[in-house]
Parts: sequence; C-alpha cells; structure tokens
Amino acid sequence: MIDRLYAYFDSPRRQTILLIAIVVLMALAPLVMGRYMTTIMTNALLYVVLALGLNVVVGYAGLLDLGYAAFFAVGAYSIGILTVQFDWNFWLAIPPALVAACIAGVIIGGPTLRLRSDYLAIVTLGFGEIVRFGARNLEITGRATGLSNIPEPNFFGYVISSYVDFYYIFLLLAIVAVIASHRLYHSRLGRAWLYVRHDEDAAEAMGINRVRVKLAAYVTGSVFGAFGGIFFAANLGAISPESFSFEQSVLVLMAVILGGMGKIPGVILGAFIIILGPELLRNLGELRLLLFAVVMLLIMLLRPSGIWPERRH
Amino acid sequence: MKNGMTALASAVALGLGLSGAVQAQSDRILIGVQVPTTGSEATYGQDMYNAAELAAEELNAEGGVLGMDIELINGDSACDPQQSVNAAGNLVSRGVQGIVGGYCSGATMPTLKVYGDEGLPFVITASNSTQLIPANPGNAFMINSTGADQSKKAVDFFESQGVERLAIIDQGDSYSQDLADLTADRWESMGHEVVRETVNKGEQDFSAVVSNVRSNDVDAVFWTAYYADGGLLIRQLRQGGYRDTIAVGDGSNSPQLFEIAGGAAEGVYAFSNPTAEFLPAAASFIENYRAEYDQDPGPYAPLNYDGLKLLAWAMEKAGTTDPAAVVEALGTADGESWLTGPISFTDENTLARSNFIILEGEDGAWTYFEN
Repeated sequence: MIDRLYAYFDSPRRQTILLIAIVVLMALAPLVMGRYMTTIMTNALLYVVLALGLNVVVGYAGLLDLGYAAFFAVGAYSIGILTVQFDWNFWLAIPPALVAACIAGVIIGGPTLRLRSDYLAIVTLGFGEIVRFGARNLEITGRATGLSNIPEPNFFGYVISSYVDFYYIFLLLAIVAVIASHRLYHSRLGRAWLYVRHDEDAAEAMGINRVRVKLAAYVTGSVFGAFGGIFFAANLGAISPESFSFEQSVLVLMAVILGGMGKIPGVILGAFIIILGPELLRNLGELRLLLFAVVMLLIMLLRPSGIWPERRH
Repeated sequence: MKNGMTALASAVALGLGLSGAVQAQSDRILIGVQVPTTGSEATYGQDMYNAAELAAEELNAEGGVLGMDIELINGDSACDPQQSVNAAGNLVSRGVQGIVGGYCSGATMPTLKVYGDEGLPFVITASNSTQLIPANPGNAFMINSTGADQSKKAVDFFESQGVERLAIIDQGDSYSQDLADLTADRWESMGHEVVRETVNKGEQDFSAVVSNVRSNDVDAVFWTAYYADGGLLIRQLRQGGYRDTIAVGDGSNSPQLFEIAGGAAEGVYAFSNPTAEFLPAAASFIENYRAEYDQDPGPYAPLNYDGLKLLAWAMEKAGTTDPAAVVEALGTADGESWLTGPISFTDENTLARSNFIILEGEDGAWTYFEN
C-alpha cells in the first residue's frame, strides 16, 4: 500500500504540489509550535541539509563515508575561528569557510580514489577522527573547550538571534539543499555519479573522468556539510569537539540509509525520523534510546532498502 | 510495514501522552536535572542524577519545599551541545521552575542562553570552565570551583606553609599550563618568587628539573599536571635529596600516584574537588547513597546533591517559585554550610570561596588534610 502511495507521489507534478504544501506548512509552523518543538524542528532541518549532503556522496556516487562530521566540523570551526579569533564579520567568513570545506573534500577525496567499499569506509572514518582530534588539540580551535561567543549574524541591521529566526534560516537552507540535490541528480554530473556507482570500470571506459567525478561528489558533499556547520555554529554560539564525534557521522549516515539512499524525499524523511524520534520519546527517560532502536530495527526489517527507496531504473 | 507504522505511531502517542500527564500536575515543583544519562559520560551523569534524586526524596520527606513536593525531570544532555539544547528546550516547555546540573562545559554553554531567555534559576554543579562566566546571562550559578579557584587555594596553602620561593612545574598542555600560569601570576603578585619549569609528557628522567629545584633552594614544589609523570617526578625529587613541601594539582590526586611514586608520595599534598569520601559532613550522605543505589557516590554526586538543596533553599527563602525572585535569593546565598562546604557567590555568580579540599598522602593513600 505504501509503495502505491509512493508511486502516486513519484509523478513530478504531484511531487511539486506536495513539496509546496509542505513548505507552506513548515513556514507557518512556528506560529503554533512552542519553543521546544521549534528547536527540535530546527535540528531536524539541519540534519536534512547534512543528510542530503551525505546522500550526494553515499547515495549518488556510492562512496561510503563514515567521517562526514569532519566536513560539518570544518564549516563550523572555520566560522568560529574567523569570527572569534580574528573578529571577522559573519557573512564575510562564509566564503573562506566554504573554500576550507572544498579543500577538505579534495584532501579526503584525493587519497581515497583508489579505494572501494570497506577500505574507503575505514579511511573516511580515520579522516573524521583526525579532524576532531586536531580540533581538540589546536590552540586556534580552543582545544577541548572549543570556541564560544560566536557572534549572532547581523543581516542588514536585523540581528538573527531568536530560535524562530534560526528555524527559518535552516528551513531556507533545507529548501536550497533539496533544490540543489534535485538539480544535481538530473544533471550530467548526476548521471556520471550513477554510472560510477554501478560500475566504475565500465563508466571510465565510456569516457567518464572517474577522478573528477568522485572528487566532485566529495566537494559537493562537503559544501552541504559546511553550510550546515556554519549556521550550526551561529545558532549555538559555541562549538566544541564533542559535536563532531563519530556518532554524529553515523547519525547522518543512518538518516540516509533509513530513509532510502539516493532518494531525496526518503532522505528528508530519514533525517526527520532520526532527530524527532528520540526527542518525541524523551519523556520516557532512560528507555527512549532502547525504544527508538527497536523502532529502527522494525523499519529496517520491514523496509530493508529504506522507507522511501530509490526506484531501480 | 503496517506494523512498523503502528509501532511508530503508538510510540509517539505514548511519548506525548506521558508529557501531558506530567504537565497536568501543578501542586508540585518541577526541577530539571540536566546531566548526561546516555553517551560516554553516562556513568557520572547517572550518578549525579541519583544524588539529586536522593536530595529530592529527603526534601519531600521533610514536607517538601513551600509545602509542595519536588519532582525531578531528567534532561539528558548526552554531553553533546546539540542534545543539551534540545534537553533544555524540553525542560523549559515542560514548565520546570529551576534547573540543576550541567556536566561537560561544552554542552552546558549553549543551554545558558535557553534558560537565560526564560530567566530560570540554573545551578551549575559540575561544569567549571572559565568560559562559562562571560556567557552567563545572570541566572546561572556555578557551585563547582574553577581553575582560578584552584590556583587561589594553592596560593593560600603555600602562604600558610610559610613558603617564599615556589617552583611550579607543568607539562606544557592546556590544563596544566593554565593552572601553572594562574598560580604563578597570583604568587608573584603577592610579592613572592616563582621558579617555572616545563617538562615533556612521557619524559622519564627529571634530573635537570631536580637539580634546578635544588640549586634554586625552593621552599615548595607545585606539580600542576597529571599523576603518571607526577609520580616519577616526586620519586626523583626525593631521591635527589629534596626534603621540602611537594603539592600536586587535581590532575594528580589519583590513588595511582602512590603506585608510581611509592614511599616518596608520603606527605605530598594534593588539591581536589570535594569528593564524598573526603568530606567530613558527607558520612550520612555516603551511607544513604549506598543504601539506595548499591554503589559509591561518584566525584560530582555531592555537588549535584548540594545544587538541588541550594535551589530548594533559595525557593524557601524567596517564598515563591517565581524565577526572578529565586535567582535573586540564590545570589544572597551567604556561607550557609553544605555538604561540599559553605556557598556564597561572587559578582560573576561563581563560588566566592573555593570548595577545593586538600589531601595528604599517608600510608599509601590520600587522607583529608583540610578544607
């Protein structure tokens, strides 16, 4: 039954209508939601951005990345360092942060081009840990205590500071991320990713530049991650190495896999479930993570390829 | 898949239902306990929660606060900044009248704004980074001592021992260097002399340091780093013929110091957070805690216990649970004696008198020396 529902919404026109309806609802939501709901929805939207970014790497290009939190960290720390240590304006600090993320994407992408599956996963895991330990030990990143007092962004005189402001910022980011993901998927590059994912050698034989295409996937993913990190840092006002742990990478990967790799609505759904699930169960106290784990196991048992998987072409 | 959806739906419904049930009770005082009960720090977090629970049970048994029972709500921060913000939002939306806890300074930091916006009283019981101080909107009170407090305690101690020339030895990492810098500045500002030394982590041979200490004729040595290298240093200092006072910072107050330094650690002083086993007033607390939870209270349990009692005291004093009045009452805390020592606050809402205690090495173990 669910599959028929999905098939119904697979038509582009219906999808557009559905999307517009969701966006309108989300835009009006803070009017009725309290502080707590708005906060966790903001968090969920952040994960939508992150999960869509990882989806480019894992879902589109088929490169298993266990260190995605590193890109997230590069974005957050770049903003933190530039605004706190060097007193830069928040908006001016965004381009360098994105450049830093691109460089990080090339750094992780370069040496791993030859690696596949498990080996790739291990190297990316290592990369994630290197970034975190670097942040933990460097003077400029504030060592273990991290950076605090990151200034609130000032948008032409309007200071973005309340939780509702940040809700809209992340809603906007998520919408941009969805559009970008959609465009990428249907682009020439998106097709190239698809071929590389299915058969690297055959793709190369067909004239696809494997190196460039794979690097593009990492760089795209890292830019998504960095955008998430930049506004994450601005939202919390303080960042510390704990935010960028291995668990963070796994959480984002879980959102991608649970929702359905490669499928934009699936990934969005996955991100919402991963974040809202434990929060809605918060009132159960100690049992919440156990219950959440059971729910996830059930989802994986009943829908092994994700809640809303990509249709095979 | 229908089952899956039903399970999800019922779980959500259950969660929502429970939250409704809690909110319905208004004859109680709700207090949020923000500690990490999941994740890597869950052991300490659970321990702190237990201590708060113990304090709440005791208060309720004595008739509650303002005639109302205290009810705790667990705000699991998971030692993660994001999760702690969620937890804080959850506590606020469930109508807590105050918050106790705060472990992992990084996770406590962003919650200051959440509680600050609502003006809720927040007693920070474990987090002690000095970075929290400028970020405090005024409603939070730190009852754990900071690094600055430890250096003050150390300076007071060395003064009382009649020390004139003090050797301060650190290990070049952020923690030990900060403590050494703070202590050196304070010691020099009091007109005394400082001899600074830095050793490399993992170094085995401290003979250069020992001869420097000997040739400068110092009255006391203060080791600000950790026990592993500290133990070796103490042993070599004593072997080198140094007979005067040796003191170590709270990174070295582990029992393991005795395994490494052996007999040389006898008579060494250590500065320590107020752990229950060394607090003279905590005997009955330890007993009750053991009886209730079948384990020993951890290092931050007494602080969290005090945190809840202090908040309750402030509510009684204010005669209301109105947040602004309670915050004001907290600010007037004036040396009343608690488990971890007297509490009163500076203008920055940090402890006016540090609760660091001094331990002394005796027969291969730490014993309580003085508060």
